[in-house]
Amino acid sequence: MRFLTLMEKLRVPLMIFPAVALICVLFFGGLTVGLGQSLGYFPAIGSYNLTFQYYSDVLTDSTFFESLWLTFRLALLSTVSSSVLAIGIAMVLRQSFKGSRFFTFMFQLSIPIPHLVAAAGIVLLVSQSGLTARIAYALGLINVPRDFPVMVFDRPGIAIQLTYLWKEVPFIGVVVLAVLQGVGPQYEEIARTLGANAWQRFRYVLLPLIMPGVLSTSIIVFAYVFSSYEIPLLLGVRYPTTLPVLAFKNYQDPDLSLRPQAMAMSIILTVIAVLLLVIYKRLAKYAVNS
Amino acid sequence: MQKIIRWIVLISLVVVALAPILPQFVWSFSHRWLFPSLLPSEWSLEPWEYAFSTSSRVGEAFISSMAIGIVVSLLSIIVGLPASRALALYDFRGKSVIEWLLMVPIIVPGIVATMGIHQVFIRLRLTDTFIGVCLVHLIPCIPYMVLVMSSVFANYGTDLEDTARTLGAGPVSVFRYVTLPGILPGLLVSTMFTFLISWGQYITTVLIGGGSIITLPMVLFPFIAGTNYSNAASISLIFVAPAILVLIFTSRQLGRESAVMGGFGKL
Amino acid sequence: MTTVVLRDLTRRFGNVTAVDRLNLEIASGELVAFLGPSGCGKTTTLRMITGLLLPISGDVLFDGKSMITVPTEKRGAVMVFQKHLLFPTMNVGQNVGFGLRMQGVEKKEMNRRVSEILELVKLPGFENRRAHELSGGQQQRVALARALVVRPKVLLLDEPLANLDANLRLEMRELIRSIQREMGISSVFVTHDQEEAVMLADRIALMFDGVLQQYDVPQAFYQKPLSTRVAHFFRNDNALAGTRRGDVVETALGTLRVDAARVQQPDGQVLVTVRPEDVRLNPEAGSPNCIQAKVLLVVYMGTHTQLQLDVGGHTWLVHSDADFQARVGETIPIELPASRLWLLPAN
Repeated sequence: MRFLTLMEKLRVPLMIFPAVALICVLFFGGLTVGLGQSLGYFPAIGSYNLTFQYYSDVLTDSTFFESLWLTFRLALLSTVSSSVLAIGIAMVLRQSFKGSRFFTFMFQLSIPIPHLVAAAGIVLLVSQSGLTARIAYALGLINVPRDFPVMVFDRPGIAIQLTYLWKEVPFIGVVVLAVLQGVGPQYEEIARTLGANAWQRFRYVLLPLIMPGVLSTSIIVFAYVFSSYEIPLLLGVRYPTTLPVLAFKNYQDPDLSLRPQAMAMSIILTVIAVLLLVIYKRLAKYAVNS
Repeated sequence: MQKIIRWIVLISLVVVALAPILPQFVWSFSHRWLFPSLLPSEWSLEPWEYAFSTSSRVGEAFISSMAIGIVVSLLSIIVGLPASRALALYDFRGKSVIEWLLMVPIIVPGIVATMGIHQVFIRLRLTDTFIGVCLVHLIPCIPYMVLVMSSVFANYGTDLEDTARTLGAGPVSVFRYVTLPGILPGLLVSTMFTFLISWGQYITTVLIGGGSIITLPMVLFPFIAGTNYSNAASISLIFVAPAILVLIFTSRQLGRESAVMGGFGKL
Repeated sequence: MTTVVLRDLTRRFGNVTAVDRLNLEIASGELVAFLGPSGCGKTTTLRMITGLLLPISGDVLFDGKSMITVPTEKRGAVMVFQKHLLFPTMNVGQNVGFGLRMQGVEKKEMNRRVSEILELVKLPGFENRRAHELSGGQQQRVALARALVVRPKVLLLDEPLANLDANLRLEMRELIRSIQREMGISSVFVTHDQEEAVMLADRIALMFDGVLQQYDVPQAFYQKPLSTRVAHFFRNDNALAGTRRGDVVETALGTLRVDAARVQQPDGQVLVTVRPEDVRLNPEAGSPNCIQAKVLLVVYMGTHTQLQLDVGGHTWLVHSDADFQARVGETIPIELPASRLWLLPAN
């Protein structure tokens, strides 16, 4: 009997222990080591004294802020435009029509494709000698590659954003579609009999219903773009580059004294990401309660 | 009018979905393809011959990518399934803290923890090893598995399991005949996601694998960076193939199983 | 105040005809029940009145004007669904005010009308509650208020009470009835519960398999059913075959007198029917229309006793006083009062 109650008590801890332990050791362990180094605890170079020196180094460096701004701008633009497009396409795909399964499949096509492959595809498509430029030439719109707008290795990062759009619109869209299918048609029917036109039904009935899902997936997308490394490295300009690229460059530098700075950048990146999650959680709560 | 808009949306959807992929087929068979010709001026099987040669290390990379992906997916299931069940079906003290712990790695850039853990792995001699790479891939994979599967478990509930137990099924039978069939569609999709997260990892593998463990993205990266698009295309297509197969396998679930995709909506 | 006319309304789903050439008039301010087993086409008809579903042929007229080309949101036919389905993203006040907000009614006016209608459904001051905090009955009342506040031309209720427990259902019935009377809104409600239809409706439209069987006041379904199916739906299976000649019907058990002014079947083959509660047990000796019946089963029902009798090979149900004594197997005389007999067509 006592054994049974003990098992009952231990059940939940036993179930969550492996996952929590692995994440704590690997993720939070790594984070702690990083935090230590960013504060100057770096035995490998004989540094044991805690200092905020590296944070002030980073925070007084304009390169850091340019990178931060670029990273933030890329993440925000990609997230907002992905969400808007995803909602629009999901609204079309939820209707029942002939071939809707085929189109839903095509919509999902880019979800499993690795970001690197997407990046390669986008370069082949929109670089100045890419397929779009060739079609523009064939149509007589341009004469030489130079006439075609620069979208790769450009400061605005158009190719980077196109890559993310291509990857993330279906991701958000599939979630929105799932929510919409769970909702069913009845709320809209009620709204309709109460006199709501098509726009009002979308704005006041459907949008509030899908908003939690959209917010949640868009925070995932934002975080993903925010931590992007290989895409901006491949498709973006050398300077300014995104924060993860900058941090990793400092980390890999033969000059080991740059490592604490890389770690300080990482920790700042982490703090921003967690802050965003907290704000999102508050927002979501507020949206539910008001 | 609505129909016209619908078809415009649908057709552009198909065009946009295929535009970055289909040209890579053509590139993978091209030898010379200069601006402004719309098709290659010289065709060749060279990119494919290169991809399948041992010197390209594509085959080797494919095998290690696949092995890492499978090991990581299995570990994520073993570790993630009980945790997601506990989070979905039981109330306990500190639950919200646990939820936060398991969610933060989704939000925090993977490179951050990887740079930190790199130091520890060096001391534990886990760098440049298969196990080390698998472990570091687990950081983003476990949280996704938990996120999706706790939604699936919550949706499935315990009523059927309880019924089976009153009918005389033991814990193993309940899992085998009731729980597993119920969550299987969701498990398939979340395993696919986990596999693909591992399959697409680049910088974490570079850092922890240190060049001893070569995966497909590492072989592909230099060709894109070096604008050797023919070779990039053939390797890209090899890189994409399993992913597309997985999608065909799970697309029905993806479209229908609202609890699964709903999981992403419950961060 | 709106009259509703359904003219030859037809709807098919694939090969199945869900509603077949339905003709019906609903007078202004009338409360009509669409009654029938599930799948009989009553909800389909309701949806065609709202315009959520378009008929294949036929017409829906409000006050004599065809509504076919008018979209749902402009018809003013408001639906209350079986599940209460309050918008989960809004509180009670926002739910009730939804229709007014869609019309662009000014906020002050909207709040006034919302609180007024909430008082009417006996939920005063509930504006800031959230839907999931309410009980099932309260949610149903909010859904009703949400429909009523826009002053609909036609109010449509799809099994509005199906999810409520017995006591609550009774309460809600009275509330719906009194509000509907007070506001004089032409209303239709769908139900499969004949008792509910009888208690609430001015007139009942009974449907089977997409076809309207009988459209009349509730009493008619008890006293003057048009077919054995209608009689059966209202729990009357007591029938005896015979041949009508003027004011008598010859049956195997003897000659029965009928009220010629009341019954409608022409001379010839008919079925004689009488409701279980109209059969007289213990008739006085020499009463007309007496026949012999064998007792098959006696069941005490509290307020009455129910007998199963063998009447000329047919099994009849008969209600008697609660203290009626009879033994199974015994043969007893029963009287079928001429004024209560009704004739159905022989099939």
